[in-house]
Amino acid sequence: MNDMRPMDNAVTDKTKITARDVHVHYGTTHAIKGVDVDIADRTVTAFIGPSGCGKSTFLRCLNRMNDTIPGALVTGEIRIDEADIYDPRVDPVQLRAKVGMVFQKPNPFPKSIYDNVAYGPKIHGLARNKAELDEIVEKALRRGAIWDEVKDRLHAPGTGLSGGQQQRLCIARAVATEPEILLMDEPCSALDPIATAQVEELIDELRQNFTVVIVTHSMQQAARVSQRTAFFHLGHLVEYGETGKIFTNPEDSRTESYISGRIG
Amino acid sequence: MTDISNDTPARGGSLLVTDARTKRRNRAETRFKAYGIAALAVGMAFLVALLWAILSNGLTAFSQTYVQLDVPLLEEKLDKDGDRDPDKIAKVSTFGYKPLIEAALTDLVAREGIETELDGKALTKILSDSAAAKIRDRVLADPSLIGQTVSFDLLASSRVDGYLKGRVSRESLARDKNLDAAHLDLVDTLREAGAVEKRFNLAFITGADASDSRPEQAGIGVAMLGSFFMMLVVLILSLPIGVAASIYLEEFAPQNRLTDLIEVNISNLAAVPSIVFGILGLAVFIQFMHLPQSAPLVGGLVLTLMTLPTIIISTRAALKSVPPSIRDAALGVGASRMQAVTHHVLPLAMPGILTGTILGLAQALGETAPLLLIGMVGYIATNYPDGVAEGFLAPNSAMPAQIYEWAKRADPAFYERAWGGIIVLLAFLLAMNLIAVLLRRRFERRW
Repeated sequence: MNDMRPMDNAVTDKTKITARDVHVHYGTTHAIKGVDVDIADRTVTAFIGPSGCGKSTFLRCLNRMNDTIPGALVTGEIRIDEADIYDPRVDPVQLRAKVGMVFQKPNPFPKSIYDNVAYGPKIHGLARNKAELDEIVEKALRRGAIWDEVKDRLHAPGTGLSGGQQQRLCIARAVATEPEILLMDEPCSALDPIATAQVEELIDELRQNFTVVIVTHSMQQAARVSQRTAFFHLGHLVEYGETGKIFTNPEDSRTESYISGRIG
Repeated sequence: MTDISNDTPARGGSLLVTDARTKRRNRAETRFKAYGIAALAVGMAFLVALLWAILSNGLTAFSQTYVQLDVPLLEEKLDKDGDRDPDKIAKVSTFGYKPLIEAALTDLVAREGIETELDGKALTKILSDSAAAKIRDRVLADPSLIGQTVSFDLLASSRVDGYLKGRVSRESLARDKNLDAAHLDLVDTLREAGAVEKRFNLAFITGADASDSRPEQAGIGVAMLGSFFMMLVVLILSLPIGVAASIYLEEFAPQNRLTDLIEVNISNLAAVPSIVFGILGLAVFIQFMHLPQSAPLVGGLVLTLMTLPTIIISTRAALKSVPPSIRDAALGVGASRMQAVTHHVLPLAMPGILTGTILGLAQALGETAPLLLIGMVGYIATNYPDGVAEGFLAPNSAMPAQIYEWAKRADPAFYERAWGGIIVLLAFLLAMNLIAVLLRRRFERRW
């Protein structure tokens, strides 16, 4: 790990994801109320905010996972590399190969560690033969910072690992399909502090290759891993900017209240 | 309940003293446990009574009384010309064999030195009516036996069999024209001599049904084949249709009025009395589609209709029990809906689906009412089907229908066979349930 800390991180200027006036309705609930945001390439962007503020909902818009929820309606415009992902021509399956996701609770398939990682590359036809697949799996497990722990038991069930290992396995599984963007929905909320530290360290490394968007409940975590932070409140994007600025000198009073622990 | 009463415990009372309120709660708990145990005990008592009734009445069906008889196959009776021409031998009907049996019995009685007032014709009453046919079949199969004296194991008549099983006594024969007390004396003596013997009766399990006058010959084997072909139809149709419908409803269908309506109706169909499916089968499959009556194919179709809701409901429950995080994981790495289902959800739901299917089949196996209406009850299943196509299309009975048929026949010997049939049916159901449990254990996975 390089010793970059949030405060002195330079942020690249290239924009990877552009969202304009995004609204999400679940049935009669208006969950996201007009969010505009530009997410920079190869940075870690953290979404923070109190429970129910819509940060996870917005995250799930970015790879159209909301499509799987009956009654969810997304309006507005979200562009990844200038392509509107809600264009009718976009197949969400193809999109999700490009935008990987790590979930709140580690959810490895009840299969072997190897099969967990190899599944994505297999269905997307990324490997022509077994040797290539082996290579992809090893690379992904290395990127997931779990290779050394599991290399001797690749065919043991993924569900037999500890919680932290499972989550890193899920990260490895997500990066195995070579996505450009990695969405993480509170990836550490089910982990103990040591496992959390390992995953956070991993997230920082992933920044070199991926655009990472992470939803977190923990402001400390946002401060530790992200370069930019977006604060959501009641479906609005209240404030978005450099992480250092958000935590030290927020512009909006709601952000300040949340950061200082008065709301949320 | 108004438990907020006056005797709230005095704060600061000793923990070593149980206050009135706690005592009352403890008593309520003890009472509830007692009710539970009592309910269980009643249930167990019924179960024991049921099993006892079935076993005590039905086990005797698995043994049968046989008479060992040396029958002289006289050439002048069976093949007058002596040229062993099968056509000519076949012309001798079972009546032609009766004198031979009479002679053999008289000879046996004489050889054992038994004194009896019964003459040859009366003696044959200890044998089943099927005896002559059995000897004839053997001779037709092997004409070279003619001229020899061959030893046969012949079925004893149902009265004699009943005597050995304690069902028939000398008193009960007083008003029975089929058999006299003298026959029983004879049977006693022959039994001591080893010529009459009660032993395990495989023919009951593998054999065909027999007419009203020959209960000793009746078996459940043909009806078992009927049930087998029906279950094959049910399995082949209801498993794929049921699983496909459930997967669609559970994983793909939009949630709207229409799917809600379908859901409610599937639940309702599961509760429709089975005889309704029977009359539907009669109207649609027999009267409209002109499929053959009494055929296992039609029975299978009707039972498929009846089993489908069960399979759909259990399959949907199995699919629901797969955690959504697994679907998210698959979709998250870019699997399509279909891939998420076939690669991940379905394998995990498999034990539940198989269990539901087997239990559905077991239910269908024991179903009688719908078979009433398509003519599978009342059909005397005396012939084995010739081949697989016949197995589906030729008229047949089914195990529960056969049991019902036996239970309503007059001869008390059939009563025992009805109970015996129940034992066979229960053995199948037990085996199917066992398979369901084993499959569940074998394929159960943790996540």
